Amino acid sequence: MISSSVAGIIFANAHDETIARLTQKRSIASIPFGGRYRLIDFGLSNLVNAGVSNVGIITKEKYRSLMDHIGSGMHWDLDRKSGGIRILPPFNVSRVRLYQNHVEALYGAMDFMVRCNAKHIVVYDARTVANIDIGAVIKTHVENDADITVACRKGLAINNIDNTMTLDINKEGQVVLTGFPTEISEDDWRSMGIYVFNREKLIDIVKNSYETGGDTINDDIISANVGVLKVMAYKFDGYSAIMDCPKAYRRANFDLLNPQVRKDLFNPERPIYTKTRDDMPTRYGTQSEVKNSLIAEGCIIEGTVKNSVIFRGVKVAKGAVVENSILMQSVSVGEGAVLDNVISDKNADIGGGMVVKGTEEKAFLIEKGQKI
Amino acid sequence: MIKKKCVAMLLAGGQGSRLGVLTGKIAKPAVPYGGKYRIIDFPLSNCTNSGIDTVGILTQYKPLELNDYVGSGKPWDLDRLNGGVHILPPYQGQKGGDWYKGTANAIYQNLEFIERYNPEYVLILSGDHIYKMDYSKMIEQHEQTGAACTISVLEVSLEEASRFGIMNTNDDGSIYEFEEKPKNPKSQLASMGIYVFTWEKLKKYLTEDNDNPDSDNDFGKNVIPLMLNNGELMMVYRFSDYWKDVGTVDSLWEANLDLLNPKIDLNLSDRDWRIYSRTVALPPQYIADSANVEHSLVTDGCEVYGALDYSILFENVTVEEGASVDYSLVMPGAVIKKGAKVKYSIIAEDVVVEEGATVGVDPTEISADDFGITVIGSGVTVGKNAKVGAKEMITEDVKGEKA
Repeated sequence: MISSSVAGIIFANAHDETIARLTQKRSIASIPFGGRYRLIDFGLSNLVNAGVSNVGIITKEKYRSLMDHIGSGMHWDLDRKSGGIRILPPFNVSRVRLYQNHVEALYGAMDFMVRCNAKHIVVYDARTVANIDIGAVIKTHVENDADITVACRKGLAINNIDNTMTLDINKEGQVVLTGFPTEISEDDWRSMGIYVFNREKLIDIVKNSYETGGDTINDDIISANVGVLKVMAYKFDGYSAIMDCPKAYRRANFDLLNPQVRKDLFNPERPIYTKTRDDMPTRYGTQSEVKNSLIAEGCIIEGTVKNSVIFRGVKVAKGAVVENSILMQSVSVGEGAVLDNVISDKNADIGGGMVVKGTEEKAFLIEKGQKI
Repeated sequence: MIKKKCVAMLLAGGQGSRLGVLTGKIAKPAVPYGGKYRIIDFPLSNCTNSGIDTVGILTQYKPLELNDYVGSGKPWDLDRLNGGVHILPPYQGQKGGDWYKGTANAIYQNLEFIERYNPEYVLILSGDHIYKMDYSKMIEQHEQTGAACTISVLEVSLEEASRFGIMNTNDDGSIYEFEEKPKNPKSQLASMGIYVFTWEKLKKYLTEDNDNPDSDNDFGKNVIPLMLNNGELMMVYRFSDYWKDVGTVDSLWEANLDLLNPKIDLNLSDRDWRIYSRTVALPPQYIADSANVEHSLVTDGCEVYGALDYSILFENVTVEEGASVDYSLVMPGAVIKKGAKVKYSIIAEDVVVEEGATVGVDPTEISADDFGITVIGSGVTVGKNAKVGAKEMITEDVKGEKA
C-alpha cells in the first residue's frame, strides 16, 4: 500500500534570495500564491492525494510563518498517529551552522530518512506549482525498477534559466544525460524538482555526497548518478510553474486567470488543500466593476478590479482602481486609489487617492504592513 | 466523565416541512445558507464562542447529510478530549425504544447522556435560526436570578406578536403567564425557543411530563406551562440583536439576502464572533471579462461569466455568459447556462438551468397575490428555454421548450 511505503521530503527554503523581497521574513515555501495558498500547499497536497502520509519539511531559517501555516497538519489531513507531518529544522545533529546547500540539508534530515521506514522517498522542491499525480510517478518508478525517477516537463516557461536542468531521455524513458544550458527550446525536457528515490539508495547517495563535499541536488545527486544508477524520467504534461524568480512568480499568479490552467491545477479529484480562514464569501458593492480577476473569500470589493489576483480579506474601496496586480491577504485599498502592476504583501494599507504604479516589466512591490 | 458547567442540547430532528423541496433529502439544520454555511453553523459557533464545549445534537429526520457535515466537530473547535459534539439519534434500550415524540421527549430520552457530564445547567437550542448570541451571558443571568428556567425573548411588534409564543412578565422579568400565539397579546416579548434550565429541575419536569400520557411532550406546549403552574421561578433573558427564523422558503430567502442589506448588522466575518463552517477545498472565484457583478456575495470555486445582482452564489457555482441571476440564491454546484435568467428564486444544490431557461418572476411584473419565491429542488435540470413561474416548487426535471 502506497501510504506506508512512501515518505515525502519537501525542501522549503531553496534559494530564498531569488525572490528576495517576498522572503525577507518567510521561507519560499510560505510565499502566498493564487489568492489563498502558500507555495508549499501544492507539494503537500500532491503528496497527500497520492496517499503519502509521512512528510518531513526541510527548513533552514525564517520558518515561523511556515510552522504557523502547517500547524498540526490538519488542513492537509496530515495530523496522524502513523506518520504525519514534521518540520525538520537545522541543528538536529550537533552542528554550529545552518545548512549551506541541498546535500547538507538532506544529510541533516538523515534521521527522518532512516526512521521513516518507507521503501521510497519523494523529494519535492516547494517552488514547484503543479497538480501532479505522485501516485502515477511512483508507479512508473516501481515498474521500471528505477533507483531515481525525475519528473519533467517540456519547454519554455518563464523561470530562472540558471536553475534549469534539462534531461536527455532515451526511448526507454531513461535519463542518459543532464544539461545546464544557457538557452532552452520548446522541445527540451526540464526537471520539475520532483524526484522519487529508493530510500536506501538515497541514504547512501546523501552520505557519500556529503562526505565528498557535494552541493546541489541537480549536480551532485542526480547528474552525478546518471549512467551509474538507473535514473528514469516521468514526463508530465499538465500545467507547472517553478517560482524561482520574481517574473515567474508574477506570471504564474496571472496564469490562474486562464480557465484551462485553473481546471488543471484545481482538479477536484486531487484538491489543493490549504489552511482555512473561516471568512465570509466575498461581497461586491453596487458600484463594483470586476473583470478577468481571481478573487478569494472575505473580500469587500466596491471599486474596480481588472486582470488581478486578489487574496483573502482584501478591501477595495469605492472609486479605487486595481489593475494587473497581485494583492495579498488583508490589503486595504482606499477610496480613489489607483494601483497598476503592483504586488502588495499582506496587510498593506494604501490610502485614499494614492497612485502606485509599476510596469509590465517590473511590478511595484509594496512591503508587508506598509502604509502608503 | 469530567463535570461540565453547562451542556447544550441542539434539537435538529425536525423535517422543516415548510421548506418543502429544500428539506426533501436533508434535515433543516443542514440547509445551506449565506454562500458557505449551513443553518446549524450558527448554534454550533455560538456554543463554541460562548465557551460551551459539550453539545448533543438530536437528530431524527434524514440525518445523513447532517451527520457527515458535523463529523467529529473539528470545524467548530468541538472535537475535544472531554465533551465535544455528539450526534444523538433515537436508540434502542433493553426495553425497546422510541422515535422522538416531541422536543421535550427528545431531551427526556437523552437524560442519561446529559447525566454523564452532571452539569449545573442545560441549554436547549434549535437549529432553525440565524443569529449570533453569547449564551454565557444568558447562563450568567440564570445563575444570578436562581431561576429554574430562563427563556430568551426578542421584542417584536404588536402586529407580529400573535405569531409567537408570548411571555407575560412582571417588572423584574419573571414570567407569570405564557400565551401561545395570542389573539390579543399582553406583551411583545416573543420566545426564541432558547432555554436554560437548572439540571435538577429539568430532570424533574421532563420525567413528570413524560409520565403524562396526554402530553405532546413539547417544551413550549407542555413543559414550560407545567413549570409555571408549579410556581417555579421562570425568567426572561432579553435579546435584541439580529435573529431570523428560516423555517419557510420566504424567510430563508430573506435571511440570506439580509446579508446584502447595508442596514442590517450581520457580519459573519467578525473576528470576535466567528461563524465557522466545514468547507471543501476549492480555488478562489473567477470573475470574467464578460461578467457583471453587482451587490452580491460570491463564494470560492465559482466561475462567473454572466451578470449578478443582489444575489448569493454558494460554492462551486457557474454562471455562464449571457446568463443573469437577480435577487436569488444559487446553492453549491449549480450551473446557470448561457442566456438563462434566474430571478427571485432559490436554486438548490447541483441544479442545472439550461440555456435560455427562465426561472422565477420579478414581483413588479405580477400581482402581489401571484408573486412568490420559486424553488428548484436539488439535482433538478430545467430544460432549454423552459419557463418556471413564481411560487413554484420543482422536484422533477423540467422539459425544455422551443426557443
